[in-house]
Order: sequence, then C-alpha cells, then structure tokens
Amino acid sequence: MSSIPPFGGFGLGLRRTHYADFLDSDVPVDFVEVISENYMVDGGRPLRILEQVRAKHPVIIHGVSMSIGSAGGLDGEYLAKLKRLEQRIDPLWVSDHLCWTRTSAHNSHDLLPLPLTHEALEVVCDNIDRAQSSLGRPMLFENPSSYLTFPEDEFAEWEFLSEMVRRTGCYLLLDVNNIYVSAQNHGFSADDYLAGLPLERVRQIHLAGHTPKSPERDIVIDTHDREVCDDVWALYSKAMTIIEQPVATMIERDDKIPPLPELLEELDRARSLAKQAVPA
Amino acid sequence: MSAAQSLAERQAAFMAQVLYEEAPLPQGWNARHAAGIEVYRGNYRSSLVEALKSTYEKTERWVGEAAFRRAAAHHVITNPPDSWTLDKAGASFDATCAELFRNDPEVAELAWLEWAMFEVFTAADFAPLDAAQFAMQTSEFGEEQWANLRLEFMPAASARMVKHDLRAIWNALGEDELVRVNASLESEQSVLVWREGERSTFMMGSAEEARAFLAAQSGTPYGEICMLLAGENPTEEQAHDAAMRAGALLGRWLNEGMIVSIKA
Repeated sequence: MSSIPPFGGFGLGLRRTHYADFLDSDVPVDFVEVISENYMVDGGRPLRILEQVRAKHPVIIHGVSMSIGSAGGLDGEYLAKLKRLEQRIDPLWVSDHLCWTRTSAHNSHDLLPLPLTHEALEVVCDNIDRAQSSLGRPMLFENPSSYLTFPEDEFAEWEFLSEMVRRTGCYLLLDVNNIYVSAQNHGFSADDYLAGLPLERVRQIHLAGHTPKSPERDIVIDTHDREVCDDVWALYSKAMTIIEQPVATMIERDDKIPPLPELLEELDRARSLAKQAVPA
Repeated sequence: MSAAQSLAERQAAFMAQVLYEEAPLPQGWNARHAAGIEVYRGNYRSSLVEALKSTYEKTERWVGEAAFRRAAAHHVITNPPDSWTLDKAGASFDATCAELFRNDPEVAELAWLEWAMFEVFTAADFAPLDAAQFAMQTSEFGEEQWANLRLEFMPAASARMVKHDLRAIWNALGEDELVRVNASLESEQSVLVWREGERSTFMMGSAEEARAFLAAQSGTPYGEICMLLAGENPTEEQAHDAAMRAGALLGRWLNEGMIVSIKA
C-alpha cells in the first residue's frame, strides 16, 4: 500500500450554496473537500460542477456512508461507485469515519458509535483492508463525536484508533471539534486523547461548531451549524503545536451555511493560529 | 446489551433503538444511554425529513410546511431506508402522499413528478439524437425497417398518466405568491419527464402519449406502437390515423432531445 505524503494547506467543504463562488471566482483555498456520496451518481450537473472545481483546486473526497464498523461488512456497490469517483476526480485522498451507519436491513444515515471492543476492532480492520484494497490506496479515518459509550468497551477511543492505524496502515483525519464534543459528553481529557494518538499519521484536521449543553439536555451535539468555539480553537492550537508534519486544515459547515466570506474569515483564523503554533 | 452478544446483534439492537421509540433499552443501559439514543434518533429522523424537503420542495409548498413535515415523518417511519444513499430516502413518497392526502389527489401526482425529475437529474450523461441524424439514419428505411424500429431514450426518462394539470400547478408554484389553481383535468393526460442538458424538465401530452412512450422505452417496435394506438380491429382509416399520431409523437420526442439512438 502506498503512503500519503503530508499536505499542508487550508480548505473548505464544497457546499451547493457556494457552487457559484467556486466556479466564478478564485476562492483563496488550498483544497476543497466534498461529500463523496453527493457525487457517486451516474451523471448530470453535480459531477460537471465537481469536475470544474477539480480543474481549479485539489479535492478531497470525504464519505459518510462507508460504514466501516458494520459487522456485516462493506457494500460492494458502494465501493464500486466510490472507486469510480476516485478515478474520475483523482483526489488528494479519500476519507470516512470510524463509525457504522447500517445493518443488513436498514441505513441510519447517521454516524453511529461503535462499542470499542476487540471484536469491533477486528471488524473495522477487516473492512478497512477491503476498502483500501478496493481503492488501491490508503484512506483517512475520522475520529467520531458520540453521545453515548458502551458498558462493554475494552479500549479508550484513542487506543482503538491507534491500534486500527497500526494494523491497517490507514491515516487519521483528526476532527478537533469531535474530540471536544466527546470529551464533554464522556468526561475524558481532550489532552489525553491527543497525546494517545499516533499523531504522525494525521493528514487532515476538521474544525466545526457544535450545540452546547443546555438546561434541557446535558449533551453537546456535533451540529456543524455555527462558528468554531474558543475552546475548540484552543485545542486546535495545541494539536498544531504537537503535530510535527504539515496537515490540511478545514472548516466544516453543513447547516445554516453562511456566505462564503464568513467561512473564509474563519479559515484565516485557522491560518493565523497554525502559524503561531510552531511544533515544539 | 449483554457481553454475550455479537457485534452484529448489538448493532441490530442499536438500530432498533434508532428506528423505534418503543424498542426496549438493551440490558445494562441507563438513563444516560437513553438520552444519547434520543439524540441519534432525532438526528436520524431530521436528516431524512430534511432530505425529503430538499427533494420535494414543490410538494412541500403545495401542501404547506406543517402538513409536509407530518407526511415526511410518517414516510420515514413506515419506509426506513435501506440504501447507502440518502437520495433514495424519498423513493415512493408519492404512495405515502396518495395515502395521506386522499382528498387532494394532485399531491401524489406532484410528488411523483418531483421524484421523476430528481432521478433524471443525476442520470447518466447522454448525447441526444437530433432530427438531422435521425433523418440520415432512416433515409433508406423500407416498410419493414420502420415497423421494426426501436427507440432508445435517455436514461431515467419517465412517463405516466395524470388526472391533474401539473404544468398549471408547477407554474403556480413558481410564483412568489402561491395562488391555488383548480387543476383537475376533464380527462387523463400524460406527463413525460426527461433532462435537457443539465436541467430536468417535463411536458404534458395526450392521454396516449405515456402509453406509447412506456411501450417504446421497454423496447416495443414502432410498428407495434402504431397498432397500440390504433386499438383493436381498427378500420383502415383508424390505422392510418394512428400511424400519423405515432409519427407525431416520434417527432416530438426527437425534437425534445429524449431519444439517444435507434435500432432497426
């Protein structure tokens, strides 16, 4: 399996609201990330737009439906369509999440949490092997945000991710907001989490906003519907201080998407923090 | 969930929690787990309802936001998705609308139209056969070749019979202020859906057009389509008239760019 060389840069997710911005102007980003499933189609306007954007920027394809944690294995049709998109776009890399989304009968279309057990680790590693072999390239997997943990857990999440990386040769997409959200929900230390990961395998960082706890609900929710909060910026700075290689940083916004200049302003903040955070 | 359960069993139990509020909590779970699962259940339902709202914007406007939300919630509960693509979550929503909006039968027809336009939007790309190419390819045709002529349409083009003037409804929905129109038709008509370049589009047609289109799309030769339009035991005049009408339909499909190739 080939390796993924580090790529340092700052990018945004390509969302429909901003198609015209990306097609008609020179948006100051180093890459764009797209949701794979939106373009795993046979033809039509979405693919045309993606090809036009690809002609201007490197593209990362980021999936939400591979279901790498499904006990029933991966969906062959899904893999074939992903491979077709990968060949069409020649992305910087292909990523998905450490989660599961479906059983043999139903698909939740949500990133569901895995019990962190030895059995789940076997399943995840087998599925990653199959996916990477199908694509002919290593993938990145993102640490999830979660709203519950399981009584049967046998690993801390960072231990699970570390072992997954060691066994499969995959890379990490570090979602700093997800670490924050899960740390708040499950009471672990975000610093311990970062320190426990094989950070040399991180190739990309996601930054996003979340819905904080409220009097009615004692759970932080990963909503991607607002600006990145100060605590998450602080965790990003810390991560950039201890990650030694260049990484690609991206702002994720999936709901209440603002005009592009607002996201570019947030991206500038990431640039500025990354510049200040010289690795020790 | 007990320690003896396999991952597959645990995932099936978790999915049941997400899908059904009444599913009993797995063994060992507490109020904290129940609160967590409520978030996942909420995410699941809202993402599906949002997907339906995005696919069925016109239907939502026609029935109103609250009624649409109820129908969409009903649809996702009664039709839990099994495909990896969220795009399929809206499949058969027209049947749900037929059940829930019995007194407003145009709603199901409008939902069918939006779904057909949604499907054709990302269908495989194609190059339509233009009239000049068609004329060149058929210039030497004898009677037998015309009778055996088969048409290949652009992928995912579709047609059906409707009892409401969907064009009138569509136009009304395009206005800033929605003025409800009485769109009931005196007799059934056809609606045909296809893609012009990158844009999904549709047209209304005579009652027999959908029948002829669907027959041609499934590979029925042109000669048999003429007979289909002529009906049983036609007189010579009726057969001639049907052939003229079939020719007019063929010309219309060709001019609209719906045909991609012919075989004889």
